[in-house]
Amino acid sequence: MPYSGLVTLNQVPVGSAARLADTSAHPGRGRLAALGLRPGAEVAVLRRTSGGGRLLGVGPSRFAVDRATLDALVVEPPA
Amino acid sequence: MTDTCHSSGAVTTTLPSGGVVALVGNSNVGKTTLFNALSGARQQIGNWPGTTVEVARADWRPAGAPRALTLLDLPGTASLSPVSPDEQLTRDLVLDSAPGQRPDVVVAVLDASNLARCLYLLAELREAPQRIVVVLTMTDVASARGMDIDPDALARATGASVVVVLDPRRRDSVSGVGAAVAAALENPLPAPRPRPFAVDADPLAVDDDRFAWIQAALDSSTHQHPSGSTWSDRIDRVATAPVLGPLLFLALMWAVFVVTTTVAAPLQDALDSLVAGPVSAAAAALLGAVGLSGTAVEGFVVDGLVAGVGMLLTFVPLMALMFLLLSLLESSGYMARAAVVTDRAMRAIGLPGRAFLPLIVGFGCNVPAISATRVLPDARQRLLTALLVPFTACSARLTVFVLVGATFFGSNAGHVVFGMYVLSILLVVGVGFLLRATLWRTMGTDPLVIDLPAYHLPLPRQVAFVTWGRVRAFLRTAGGIIVATVAVVWALSNVPAPGAAGSLGDVPVEDSVFAATAEAVAPVFAPAGFGDWHATSALMVGFVAKEAVISSWAQTYSAQEPADPGDPGDLGDAVRADFVASSGGHPTAAVLAFLVFLLAYTPCVATLAALRREVGTRWMLASIAISGTTAWLLAVAVFQVGRLLG
Repeated sequence: MPYSGLVTLNQVPVGSAARLADTSAHPGRGRLAALGLRPGAEVAVLRRTSGGGRLLGVGPSRFAVDRATLDALVVEPPA
Repeated sequence: MTDTCHSSGAVTTTLPSGGVVALVGNSNVGKTTLFNALSGARQQIGNWPGTTVEVARADWRPAGAPRALTLLDLPGTASLSPVSPDEQLTRDLVLDSAPGQRPDVVVAVLDASNLARCLYLLAELREAPQRIVVVLTMTDVASARGMDIDPDALARATGASVVVVLDPRRRDSVSGVGAAVAAALENPLPAPRPRPFAVDADPLAVDDDRFAWIQAALDSSTHQHPSGSTWSDRIDRVATAPVLGPLLFLALMWAVFVVTTTVAAPLQDALDSLVAGPVSAAAAALLGAVGLSGTAVEGFVVDGLVAGVGMLLTFVPLMALMFLLLSLLESSGYMARAAVVTDRAMRAIGLPGRAFLPLIVGFGCNVPAISATRVLPDARQRLLTALLVPFTACSARLTVFVLVGATFFGSNAGHVVFGMYVLSILLVVGVGFLLRATLWRTMGTDPLVIDLPAYHLPLPRQVAFVTWGRVRAFLRTAGGIIVATVAVVWALSNVPAPGAAGSLGDVPVEDSVFAATAEAVAPVFAPAGFGDWHATSALMVGFVAKEAVISSWAQTYSAQEPADPGDPGDLGDAVRADFVASSGGHPTAAVLAFLVFLLAYTPCVATLAALRREVGTRWMLASIAISGTTAWLLAVAVFQVGRLLG
């Protein structure tokens, strides 16, 4: 694993996976949950996007999130 | 629309009598594709009565159904928590209306590649007694991304009557939906999903319960295994990439701008000459044949009504192209990527990323730009952008800038015109900030989280249906305003003012009611240095169409319209003399103030018609007030400061 313990999602290298641990610091927490980005969900960090964000994969779904979102999501290495 | 639509101001939740089947689903899940495949060409697109929410409806008789049904394509919505008019309407119709008033069958269209997200809507739908047919789309994408779905297990887990896997390109797959709906109609209403909490429970607890239900449904009906990347993923390597993404976006926006300006222009010109030439001549000949030649009736019909209809028609190619491009960008899935690419730059000026498209189009023409605001999923952002579009300097305003610039500033005209474009951008940003600081303080603070639907090739038939439906709706809603205003302006300029010489239809323009009105309004502009009836009448005509400003301005001086706006001739001399007089010897300051006013106030009546269609009459009136106030304050400031500076 390229990282260990609890980190924010922006510290997870592109190409790695992570398990969401805490989304409560994000102001759009409810929306994240509705999209399937809930604690326990496994997230693949697929690539960088324009504007400093990342493209994420959750199961077959794809999401683009910005830098502020990456900073607000706490993750841990996947099981 | 049908007899069930009322034109009272109130939202009506009354559904058509007979059986009603409502298609419900998130945006970009293939809901409209399914609607088109089921309904064919028999659909009508229009705003739901009392709202600005667009709903398509069609008569539909699936094989095996006892009677014809009304099929409704409700707007794409992520949930039934009413945060936008779209969601409110969907909620009103499928959840909050009285049990007998609800649709007989709700068809929930779910994107299999985004199942976790789409099931949220289904969780809410299942909280009311509802016959639900689930249609799964994009199972091929889900499968390529490693997710297998068992439709029967999903039906059992969610309590839906049946789950149909859809491939809209295959007819038997589409008719499977019809059979499922016909079968569901025979079933009694199922009981709602049992919930462990009261209706007014803590929203977080409500959500936790829904998520647990969703997770259980996913666990029992899907299986995820490792997979490679799909072609949609490969396109996103370019479309959302740090450098290539913005380049691709700019190239596409440039293409949209070129198509809506240069490609539409020859078609507009051709329609214009057709109406001004053969159609007007035919109308005149027809009236001549019944002995009305040379009368006021002829003037009203040919120069009022026919000219008004002609103006409306010249917008048709432009609107058709705009709706076509919008439909392509939306249904291909690219719009979501454009939002990612533009998010940071637009956020810096306080606007959502997708507002880029309507604002760019606005520099060509404001009318299709207002329609382009529908790319914004959030209703408040849509409204904000629609209020800002009129500040983009469209190409019709350019002609007036060039003529006035050449008259007063000679070789510096280019700088003045350039300055107007810079001011136009500053107005969009500045008024945007002001509106958000006053009307919508909470807007645009959420970080970007956007789901990217898999790309798909738009189906030509579907794109054609949607484009035609929207053009027809534009003609229906915009036609009245445009034709009526052009006819009223004609009438005013052909009725002699009280006490003036001349008769109906034969009156010099300076003796008409139009001139008298301009004279009455002119003092309003005295603080801006152009309180003169000629300039005021030019602005009054400019309210109808900026294209007509120069010709009618020339008319008020009985001068010829200059063939080349860069060489104003007699008209230039006459205008200059009036500006010197009205400004008390500060014509430069007054002219700059006039140009600023011309830039900022309501662009034309067609823009108003488009605004009324997209955001409703109240906000159309608000737009007139916002644009007019901004224009007047700026013009006065420019003149007063300019006068002090000499």
